Amino acid sequence: MNLTRRNFLTWAGISAAGAVSCNIPFPEAELKIQSPVRLPEDLVKGQDNWYATLCRQCPAAEGVLVRVMEGRAKKVQGNPKYPVNLGKQSARCDAGLQALYHPDRLAGPMSRTGAKGSGQYKAVSWDEALNILNSQLSERGQGLALITEPLRAHLSVIAGRFATAFGGRQLGFQTLDDTSYRGAVKTVFGQDVLPGFDLAHADYLLSFGADFLSTWGSPTQFSQAYGEFRQGAGRVRRGTHVQVEPRFSMTAANADRWLPITPGWEGHLAMSLAYVIIDEKLQAPGVDVGNLTGGRGIAALEAFRPETVAPRIGLPQGLLDGHSAADFIRELARDFASHRPSLAIGGDSAGAHSNGQFNLEAIYALNYLVGSVGAPGGVVFNAASPLPDLPAAAKVGSLADWAGVAEDIRSGKTKLLLVHQADPVHGLPKSMGFRDALAGDNLFTVSFSSFMDETTALADLILPDRVYLEDWGSDIPEPGPGYPVLGFQQPVVNPLSDYNPRSFADILLASAQGKAGNLPWPKLRDFLRESSDALFALKRGSIQAADSGEFWTKLLQQGGWWDDKATNPRPGAAPRDLLTGIAARAVPPAYSGLADGEFHLLPFAHNTLLDGGNAHLPWLQGAPDPVTTITWQTWVEVNDRKVKELKWREGDVIKVESAAGFILAPVYPNPALPPNVVAIPLGQGRRSGGEYAAGRAAPESANVMDLLEDRRVAVSGALAWAGARVRLTPTGESIRISKFEGSSPAREIGLTPSEDIFKTVESNGAAGAAH
Amino acid sequence: MATERVNHKWGMVIDLDRCTGCQACVVACHAENNVPINTQDRFLQHRAYEWIRIERYWEGEFPNVKARFLPVLCQHCENAPCEPVCPVYATYHNDQGLNVQIYNRCVGTRYCINNCPYQVRFFNWWEPQWPATLRNQLNPDVTVRSRGIMEKCTFCIQRLRRGELTVERQEGGRLDDKTMQERNFGPACVSACPTNALMFGDQRDPKSAISPYFADANEHVHEEDRKTRAYRLLEEMNTKPNVIYLKKVDQYPLKLKQGEQNG
Amino acid sequence: MLPKGKILPLALVGAGITAIVIFVSAVVVISWFSNPPFGLGNAPPQPIAFPHTVHAGPVAQGGMGIQCEFCHRNVTKGAAATVPAVEQCLFCHKTATGGAGTPQAAEIAKIQSSFDANTPIDWERVHRLPDHVRFVHEAHVRFFTQGTTLETQLPVGEVCSKCHGDVASMTEVQPKQGQSLKMGTCLDCHRQNSVPTDCTICHQ
Repeated sequence: MNLTRRNFLTWAGISAAGAVSCNIPFPEAELKIQSPVRLPEDLVKGQDNWYATLCRQCPAAEGVLVRVMEGRAKKVQGNPKYPVNLGKQSARCDAGLQALYHPDRLAGPMSRTGAKGSGQYKAVSWDEALNILNSQLSERGQGLALITEPLRAHLSVIAGRFATAFGGRQLGFQTLDDTSYRGAVKTVFGQDVLPGFDLAHADYLLSFGADFLSTWGSPTQFSQAYGEFRQGAGRVRRGTHVQVEPRFSMTAANADRWLPITPGWEGHLAMSLAYVIIDEKLQAPGVDVGNLTGGRGIAALEAFRPETVAPRIGLPQGLLDGHSAADFIRELARDFASHRPSLAIGGDSAGAHSNGQFNLEAIYALNYLVGSVGAPGGVVFNAASPLPDLPAAAKVGSLADWAGVAEDIRSGKTKLLLVHQADPVHGLPKSMGFRDALAGDNLFTVSFSSFMDETTALADLILPDRVYLEDWGSDIPEPGPGYPVLGFQQPVVNPLSDYNPRSFADILLASAQGKAGNLPWPKLRDFLRESSDALFALKRGSIQAADSGEFWTKLLQQGGWWDDKATNPRPGAAPRDLLTGIAARAVPPAYSGLADGEFHLLPFAHNTLLDGGNAHLPWLQGAPDPVTTITWQTWVEVNDRKVKELKWREGDVIKVESAAGFILAPVYPNPALPPNVVAIPLGQGRRSGGEYAAGRAAPESANVMDLLEDRRVAVSGALAWAGARVRLTPTGESIRISKFEGSSPAREIGLTPSEDIFKTVESNGAAGAAH
Repeated sequence: MATERVNHKWGMVIDLDRCTGCQACVVACHAENNVPINTQDRFLQHRAYEWIRIERYWEGEFPNVKARFLPVLCQHCENAPCEPVCPVYATYHNDQGLNVQIYNRCVGTRYCINNCPYQVRFFNWWEPQWPATLRNQLNPDVTVRSRGIMEKCTFCIQRLRRGELTVERQEGGRLDDKTMQERNFGPACVSACPTNALMFGDQRDPKSAISPYFADANEHVHEEDRKTRAYRLLEEMNTKPNVIYLKKVDQYPLKLKQGEQNG
Repeated sequence: MLPKGKILPLALVGAGITAIVIFVSAVVVISWFSNPPFGLGNAPPQPIAFPHTVHAGPVAQGGMGIQCEFCHRNVTKGAAATVPAVEQCLFCHKTATGGAGTPQAAEIAKIQSSFDANTPIDWERVHRLPDHVRFVHEAHVRFFTQGTTLETQLPVGEVCSKCHGDVASMTEVQPKQGQSLKMGTCLDCHRQNSVPTDCTICHQ
């Protein structure tokens, strides 16, 4: 159409009239004001209430306060009183609200109608669903397997006894399981419960592989202490943090010094440090080296002379500053031993090689040499449990256990599988055959998930659980703060009427009625109440109350019970011959994967999505990865100079190939990654679970677990997920990476030499905090 | 009793030596302030809404490489470049040291974004949308910004006002560091920060943990011989922010050649 | 000099523009002076014909003189004044059923049936503030009831009528009879009473 003056005016007139007549519509609800039927004192319009409960977005189970207005949860905040996080929170905590009000939440029990994995279900009533469950339990319950998240405290008792009552077993599932770490803690410290670390008072922290500020252990607890470690009031000097890790994790990014070594040699480096400490007599006063080495002294560690170890661990030349690698190790050992208190911790990839448990044992043994076991600024032991019946340590399945479960399913020994808050189909290496085992006709699978996930998609019956903000629960933090804590979780809101969930624990209790399983409680709440009375009878701890009713109320108000005056478990003497024993177990890492693979693969838990269990929450998908700032997708980190050398560019889709298979993912050039290492995050690659989790196809979303083989850590039987050799080949395709980097042209930083902005204030490294 | 109004002046101190870049503040801000969901498309278009963001800077090359984290939010400048350019006075400076955006006045000229040297203002290119069920989470204290207007960090003014109302008007006390921390009246990012890298308080309250930093930084603008690590972003522009940064302490500085860092 | 043939169309266009301008200005003027969204300040029909005169009207005129805050019980406590719960109406109306066969009995019966059916009553909102305004009833009531001067030591009911008009004398609540509740009203009052007029006092 020609734009003449006339029709311009006509159109202008029409659009003006249109704009005026299309009044902005008010939402209907805003024109109403509602008289509720009842007079609920806590449901007043415009008034908020804060309820204490526990966050279940990550295994650390932090204490939180939830702001509730008119029956809707609005905000999650750390509970200032709860000893684990002291009012602070991780990025994951807030997102519990999105789980609560998620559009893809399953709306009620469902029974499978199509073939397994077809996703065809029909809605059934709860009565029907529970009838199916109970008949399946009596028909094929013998030898059942109950797979849950790692459980502690009350739910652990219920799930454990339930499984026993049916002659089955209950196991906690972790994608990157910590059984090697647990094994090392047992060997080195003789403890079943994971220890805490007094970072706040440490002066020197040597961390091997543990991404403790992001995902490892109890990140908020550690972060809180880390802030004090850096700039705490009353510190003599700022703590020094050295991170030995082949990948540039968020924790490595915060370290004062990052030492990338060849994956799997962490234990050898630790033993070499021990050698130097003993050789140069740098150990803390009162440390009985003879006891640790079986009386042989330095001779016991002869194989770990820095000169022997240095050429093998691959310390980059550029770091050595003209020294020889052996001298560098000696210098590191002197640094470590001369600061007091100093602390050595290890985890994540350091413990996930074929020799992972040796690595961790060697690392933690260093603490004996510098006198940091059970001392301020050192390793803090946790009491077993305030109430003897409640387990304080989670029971986590190793890869060996999962292989056993898969085998039992195949052989028909296990005919019924119950899954709660665990996604083994997504989180176990493909080669375990878990998907095929679940797809078999002999198995009946019941999922208690509130959301669709890879395992639930293969289930025969889905009984949606309540989200934790709607449910009762409890936790004994592991690692804890060094004194007994029992956290209580209470429902802070009722489920929306669109969802129709029922509590997993209550279903288990109801189904086990009449079974000789020692589960006398009708509901989980009754069990919690019983424990509250038991705590009241202890007559100590954080709550003073006149009677058990008042105690229960205060317990829920505070979000738990703790006794910070209780003495820590006393550290035992170092096990005799500890170092000798560890030295005898020393082996080099044996890498899985392709023999000609140029790169070592280091998968890692995503900062917010973890192993993918949080992938359905848009806030967490949209939270940039701290190091790469990538959001919403998978990526392969490759050293930037390597990328240039190979003539690749950011976003080029790369085929990452191992012996187990391949995945496609875009490359991200990372200046802080050794040239022989590639890093790929977990968390993506979900194929069911709604738009946010599974709305993107490869290469944007791929599951790195598909690259792993069934290789195990010696002794513990855990999955050896780190270091596999992989081959990278470009596919010729390229996609744009959705990342936050580059969104804001930060002119001021770009133009200013960074030394000026971040310059050291005082030359000795100690900066004045507050005046 | 309606007590005499306390004349606050809010300020924030960010200790870069404590910040670990964990993103807890970012998500806490989204939850508190009804920030629209940042979809993948928004990141691809570089239009993600992050009232507080963590910038990551690379320094050096492997193996002598470091990453630096810098949380950036509205600096609440005393001399705010965004304020004089607004033709409708939708952004102005209030008596409590806040740079304020009044949504119902804003007509969306985006002059303020262009004039802000910190890139902390966000224009609503779309009507914000949430799935119906997720709307249950929206904070009733915070306006949902519609398409065509500007939004930015408010220092969680709704929490401060709630605090003033409860603590000062109703209880006759004073909204100080302690009450803000214990009763969630401080900004959401500050209460979330696991390492306590973010500190917030009243510059005029001598007992506040942040006031000494402001005293020092105000005395030593443009001077090299500071006693503390305090500095302000883009100090040379004389925007006089109410946000002060404390320098990260670099224990093993990299020996960089000039111009080698890539930002 | 315009060619002759163009004059008529130009006149038509001119008339069109005038009409549009008049239409637009009429809409603007009407919406400005009306209390959104009810046109020119008419009371919307309510689901139950609730007469404030009977409940809150002075005893001398046949009312019961119930204080505002007895039913709107959150007005001295929180942001919203709140309408009473159905249960609260029944405190009295369990027995006060209005006498058999009277028109009010039919209205009162609606309360009981709402309670029995467990369905809330959706009243039509009379005073509506836009989403970007925060108004805290408690703070305003406290200012005018607990101050130090005579004007700020009023009974609660008088404070209410400052904005809402003399609701006790209205059978149907008429927004027109109170203040317009536009921003000018708020600002005038804030200025008169030396209360801050910073935007963020109300807009958050």
